Amino acid sequence: MVKEHLSTQYDADLEEIRTRMLQMGGLVEEQVSNALAGYADGNSPTLDRVKATEERVNQLEIELDDRCTHLIARRQPAAGDLRLVMAVVKSITDLERIGDEAAKIARIAKQMHERGIVHLSGFSDVRVAANLASSMLKGALDAFARMDAEAAQQIVMQDKHIDSEFRSLLRELITFMMEDPRTISTALDIVWIAKALERVGDHAKNIAEYVIYVSSGTDVRHSQGQSESTALG
Amino acid sequence: MHPIHLSRFWYPVAFRFAVIGFCAAMAEYIFGTPWGYLIALAGLLLLIAFHLFYLRRVETWLQRPDEGAEHPEDLPEGYGAWETVFSALRRARRREDKRRDLVAETLNRFIEASSALPDGIIILDQGDRIEWCNPSACRHFGIDLARDQGYLIANLVRQPPFTEYLVRADFREPLVLTDPTGKITLSVQMLPFQETRRIVLSRDITPFVKVETMRRDFIANVSHELRTPLTVVGGFLEQLIDQPHVPAEQRQRIENMMLDQTGRMQRLIEDLLTLSKLETQASPAREEEIPVQSLLETVASETRALSGGRHTILLDTFPVTLRGASDELRSVFSNLASNAVRYTPGGGTIRITFSPHPEGAQYSVADTGPGIAPEHLPRLTERFYRVDKSRSRETGGTGLGLAIVKHVLARHGGRLEIESEMGQGSTFRAILPAARLTVQGSH
Repeated sequence: MVKEHLSTQYDADLEEIRTRMLQMGGLVEEQVSNALAGYADGNSPTLDRVKATEERVNQLEIELDDRCTHLIARRQPAAGDLRLVMAVVKSITDLERIGDEAAKIARIAKQMHERGIVHLSGFSDVRVAANLASSMLKGALDAFARMDAEAAQQIVMQDKHIDSEFRSLLRELITFMMEDPRTISTALDIVWIAKALERVGDHAKNIAEYVIYVSSGTDVRHSQGQSESTALG
Repeated sequence: MHPIHLSRFWYPVAFRFAVIGFCAAMAEYIFGTPWGYLIALAGLLLLIAFHLFYLRRVETWLQRPDEGAEHPEDLPEGYGAWETVFSALRRARRREDKRRDLVAETLNRFIEASSALPDGIIILDQGDRIEWCNPSACRHFGIDLARDQGYLIANLVRQPPFTEYLVRADFREPLVLTDPTGKITLSVQMLPFQETRRIVLSRDITPFVKVETMRRDFIANVSHELRTPLTVVGGFLEQLIDQPHVPAEQRQRIENMMLDQTGRMQRLIEDLLTLSKLETQASPAREEEIPVQSLLETVASETRALSGGRHTILLDTFPVTLRGASDELRSVFSNLASNAVRYTPGGGTIRITFSPHPEGAQYSVADTGPGIAPEHLPRLTERFYRVDKSRSRETGGTGLGLAIVKHVLARHGGRLEIESEMGQGSTFRAILPAARLTVQGSH
């Protein structure tokens, strides 16, 4: 009787941790979309909101860390449960970093708009990279909510696209800077934003890898798909 | 109990007892007392065996409710008193089947009806897990019922305002929720039902939000466009009052500039009035046959005057008459041509062509200007939409030209097509339907 009650409480605790982590993910998603919207239209209240949300993201990170430690200490989870807790512990670090990248984008966007944007005519803009990064983040969190290893695998593959998009943006911007030195400061700012987006994609990929780890017990980090090391079962 | 029913049950029983009694009496009469009892006993045992046999058959039938439900006819016919029992059971079974079909059909109809609703419905269980949702809700929130049934809604719909709304549990006011990609805006309302369950209603309010934004932008834009020339005129007037003795030459320059600005305001107001007239009247007020060739020659010469010799302007047309409102169509032709002059740098070529088209005819203006980036194309016909906000007002346009063109063409059953490539130039095409055209000399 008592045991059954305890295990239900245990399940509820596990579920609570996952929900909190996804809630944190929701905040970070909002940060990223606000930062990008603010960059596009120069709306400074939207950009300020990114900074304001960071406080709550950090709080949630600390709270979740604490919850996970307590859960491991008190319940000593094993197998799938332990993998879930470990994945949450790692994911929140990645989420917090994504939040930092969003704040960075917001800060640069604010500076750019205050200084007045230099129009780079014919520049294809970071929109493609931005859409890719936000959709990877959303996909990774969706996969986490559903523990869908297949969807997570797709996200891991998408990281290549965002990397190549970043490289081609860089090439294009270098051409602009060589042709007209007046564009250098704007182009550099855009490089920082693109780099931040590429990092968002990397962190989203990490989260997707944890999903595969939780659902199959296979660690796919640093493996190019050929060699896979098995984790604790 | 019903008398017939009573008789159908009791008569066979009485008959069987009578037969056993008769046989026993006969045996006793012929063979003596012990034989009579023996026969009576045997008869009763036989009767019990018979009843047990049928009881067993009922039991087997009841044991397999699913198969029995599929085949109510499987139930044996029975004999004697059992016949009434079996037929009553069969009737009950059929009644139940019918009721079940009816319930299933009603449920199906309900699900189909809710699938047809444009509004999304999600039913949540006591733990806020998704129990059921209709296709609209799947579309609104990006969930898939087959895959996501039983998942926590907060894990899938992660927008912070929604999570707060769930936690706050104050559902009197609906929540306005914008998708992270900004593509759809939803009005979400939660309704508690059955004590612990909740329903999430979602309505796609994107069009309303869009109309609202357009209205707000329009008012802001109109006031801005009117204020700019007023500020200039006001500034000059102040200068004239402060310095009454301006040299005649400078005075004349100022007066000309003021005249320019008032002219601009006048054009803006005329365009606004034209637009509002076009919007309130469904079809052209007065239609007439317009000789296209001479009209286009006038347009071309006006365009040349506007260009002041900076561009090469070519005209290519064929003899045809067009039925429609002449001043409206003329504004279409001259708007597109003057836009080309405004946005093409000196030395460029502007080609004005009127030619046959599969749907009728097309009036096209092709320039060798800087071109328009693809993301601007769908928004060009919006009022006051500027591709380059800093520069366009200097070119003298009101920002309403293409909106007027689009409206006029729609009223004449035509449409506007825009094609552009960065660095290559743009082509604006007005497609006019065959019904409005008469080729001269063809009849």
